[in-house]
Amino acid sequence: MIEKIKSILKKAEIAAYTINETRTESAECFFIRKNLDMKRRTDLAEYQVTVFHPFVKDEKPMMGSSSAQIYPEMDAAEIESVLRSAYYAASFVGNPVYELVTGEEREHIPSDSTLAGRGLFDNMKDMAEALFAADTEEEVFLNSAELFVRRLLKRIVGSGGVDVSYETCEVSGEYVVQCISPQNVETYHSFSYRNLDTENLRREVKEAMKMTIARAQAVRSPQAGEYRVLLSGEQMRTFLSYYLERSSSSMIYQEYSSYQSNMPVQGESIRGDALTILLKAREPYSQEGIPMKDRVLLENGVLRTIHGNNRFACYLGIEPTGIYDSILVPVGETPLCEMKKEPYLHIVSFSDFQMDSFSGSFGGEIRLAFLYDGETVTPVTGGSINGNILNVQEQMTFSKERYQNGRYEGPYAVSLKGVQVAGE
Amino acid sequence: MKVRESDFIRQKKPLLRKLLKTLEEQYPYISILAMDSTAKTYRVSRKNTGIHEDNILSERGFVIRVSDGAHYAEYSFNRISEDLLEEICSGVAEAAAMSQYAVPQKIGENTYAVPEEEKTSFVGSTDYETDPEVLGDGEIIALLSNIKEKGLAVSTKILDCAVMCNYQKYSKLFLSGKKELEQNVMWMTGAISLTASRGEEIKDSFRSFSGLGGAEVLSQMEDAVENCAAVTLELLKSEPMIPGEYECVCTPEVTGMIVHEAFGHGVEMDMFVKKRALAEQYIGQYVASELVTMHDGAAAASQTSSYFFDDEGTLAGDTTIIDKGILKQGICDLLAAQALRAEPTGNGRRQSYQRKAYTRMTNTFFEGGHSTKEEMIASISYGFLLEEPASGMEDPKNWGIQCMVNIAREIRDGRLTGRIFSPIVLTGYVPDLLKSISMVSKKTSLSGGGFCGKGYKEWVKVSDGGPYIKARIRLG
Repeated sequence: MIEKIKSILKKAEIAAYTINETRTESAECFFIRKNLDMKRRTDLAEYQVTVFHPFVKDEKPMMGSSSAQIYPEMDAAEIESVLRSAYYAASFVGNPVYELVTGEEREHIPSDSTLAGRGLFDNMKDMAEALFAADTEEEVFLNSAELFVRRLLKRIVGSGGVDVSYETCEVSGEYVVQCISPQNVETYHSFSYRNLDTENLRREVKEAMKMTIARAQAVRSPQAGEYRVLLSGEQMRTFLSYYLERSSSSMIYQEYSSYQSNMPVQGESIRGDALTILLKAREPYSQEGIPMKDRVLLENGVLRTIHGNNRFACYLGIEPTGIYDSILVPVGETPLCEMKKEPYLHIVSFSDFQMDSFSGSFGGEIRLAFLYDGETVTPVTGGSINGNILNVQEQMTFSKERYQNGRYEGPYAVSLKGVQVAGE
Repeated sequence: MKVRESDFIRQKKPLLRKLLKTLEEQYPYISILAMDSTAKTYRVSRKNTGIHEDNILSERGFVIRVSDGAHYAEYSFNRISEDLLEEICSGVAEAAAMSQYAVPQKIGENTYAVPEEEKTSFVGSTDYETDPEVLGDGEIIALLSNIKEKGLAVSTKILDCAVMCNYQKYSKLFLSGKKELEQNVMWMTGAISLTASRGEEIKDSFRSFSGLGGAEVLSQMEDAVENCAAVTLELLKSEPMIPGEYECVCTPEVTGMIVHEAFGHGVEMDMFVKKRALAEQYIGQYVASELVTMHDGAAAASQTSSYFFDDEGTLAGDTTIIDKGILKQGICDLLAAQALRAEPTGNGRRQSYQRKAYTRMTNTFFEGGHSTKEEMIASISYGFLLEEPASGMEDPKNWGIQCMVNIAREIRDGRLTGRIFSPIVLTGYVPDLLKSISMVSKKTSLSGGGFCGKGYKEWVKVSDGGPYIKARIRLG
């Protein structure tokens, strides 16, 4: 198909392009309690073509681009029509000119995942076994779950010589844990692994069950007021995504972010832990075919890398890195038990924790928190927090304990001073 | 004008019928859903312009659902020809065999009867005034650029004025033993997002526009941009919210978010099957003020979530969920209906042919009442007018509310004081909020600018809204 697309691009005199091919095979299982409710298989081939159209507008050189989907069932005439339309559309996209990605043909990179080389059904069976391993009690159990096992083959071919391909394997899913006593409650959890990480899944489900038992005992909301708040687990990536997004070349070029290289973005007078964040390359190439590698984003609160796609990098005159969505943060030096010596509100579950990278505002409704008033620890539920990272970033403390899930690896918890809580 | 059928689906229909016949020899129930969709997004801002085909909404492919008489399986694929029919049948067989080979022995399997179908044949298309494909890329970008310039011209304090629009034109064919349904639908939405900075903090105001139809919706955007810019500038002097419980007036957009997030997700009856929804225990009981009547349905309104049949071949409906405060019924997909021995309501929807169908909302709204917004504000000694919904999350199990809005305007002694607070988190217990509704406006409107997820995935187009409402809400 790629050869067919290339030959049609040539016929249509479209000289600059990127073709992204994705072949996906998946097995999917949907469970209600310990019963399979629906099973699915998919077998798909998808092609996205981005075409680039140089032109001059008001005597300034421009580079327009536009993308189109090509389907396996399209014949040559329809593909040509779609690509010509995309090329025409690109003539109205008046962005300043930039150099396109160049590269070369590279060897296929097979997946080094422990999921690779095994059948989808074998991987599904092992992960399902791990998912349900801790589901042995009567009062706390898995209410429902979804498991997805995927194998993807990706190829990127560009007019600048890029021709790379690689394989990725992943298993992801979500589950709801229910506890029926003393209250009937539930908690939601999701996971994503690039390996056959059965032990991690077993451990996470077990922890989720403990959390849900605590949620069943929480009956009241915290009092409204200002608290030292501990965020942990799944909230950590969302909270720190502020720095990931603010340091992207698209936000900086469009002046939504004032970040510059070597700027102390965590503030001028850090009194808590200085933050170091590494960008993790989850795939060997970006969607444009840029080789991806691990990079330092922040070093002790100072911005070291502006990351992003080729166009915005060219505009800013920096190296294009590709777009990152995965971070690794070195753990702090304070054990969680130290963090918990003074009064705190440790929020372990939100309805939907949100971070607005434009304003720095973060918040959400509290599903489960542990309130320590200096004497006793009480599980609480309800109410919400509403804070701003700009007000707390200089006094953050990160835990020594480590946490890993999907696109985050780093400290399990962060302590934030002076966060407003709406409650009773 | 009517949206025209897909040439691709028309060409593939005979082959799909043949595939259906072949599979009927092996399975007591088969359905095939074919989808062909084109979706394009346009975006203009101060330093960026973009046109791209939406790679989530644009698709062309098929999903087969089979039942062996007791258990369901599905196979999604996007290549079909005479030569590939055997391979497709093997894919279906592999999916059906997963209960044997892909799950541990200790896992059982839910059983469903083969659905009973009535012979149904249907072809329908929605209407539009201006086809965005005919209007053309150049004209659309020019229109958006004009709105952007108008927004930027309001003040030098405006950092950016991003103007977007997108449309989806889709055709679906549903085939089963007794059904042959075809629909061709188009919707279009627009959005304006203005930003202004207060040091490192960037405040933004957002407005969306939507309609079942074509580019005619774009004409509403130009009139709104100056007001949107004024709100953005107001946000520069916004204050953090003082947590507490207040008398509030909600705009139709905020009402829509409460209807959809706080209550709507809880009456999706696949949640009843999982025993995840508290609403199941409250059928026939008061869950809201007598002023509240709530609907959902693809046929209940003309908006971006209107269609003629759902992704399981059930014709679209208009479900009255709450009638004068009493919870009457939920909304239901085909499998949940079978499990609960209920009637499907036309709410079985997929993000794509590549994904599973779930019970999903469509156009969800409260009916109007008899008051006006001005009367509501005048009745409040201290409270807030809530505007610009930002996000929300469901909690069907415990009826907890999490909704975030961008703006709370202070009301004191029946008047807006000009003081504004941002951002705001709404929390509380859903029936407490709905029972506290004491005034409902005559005027209603629906917005279909957004998408709805089931949990954190499975995005489908929805609309929601209703009247202005006055209610008591905990804000933080």
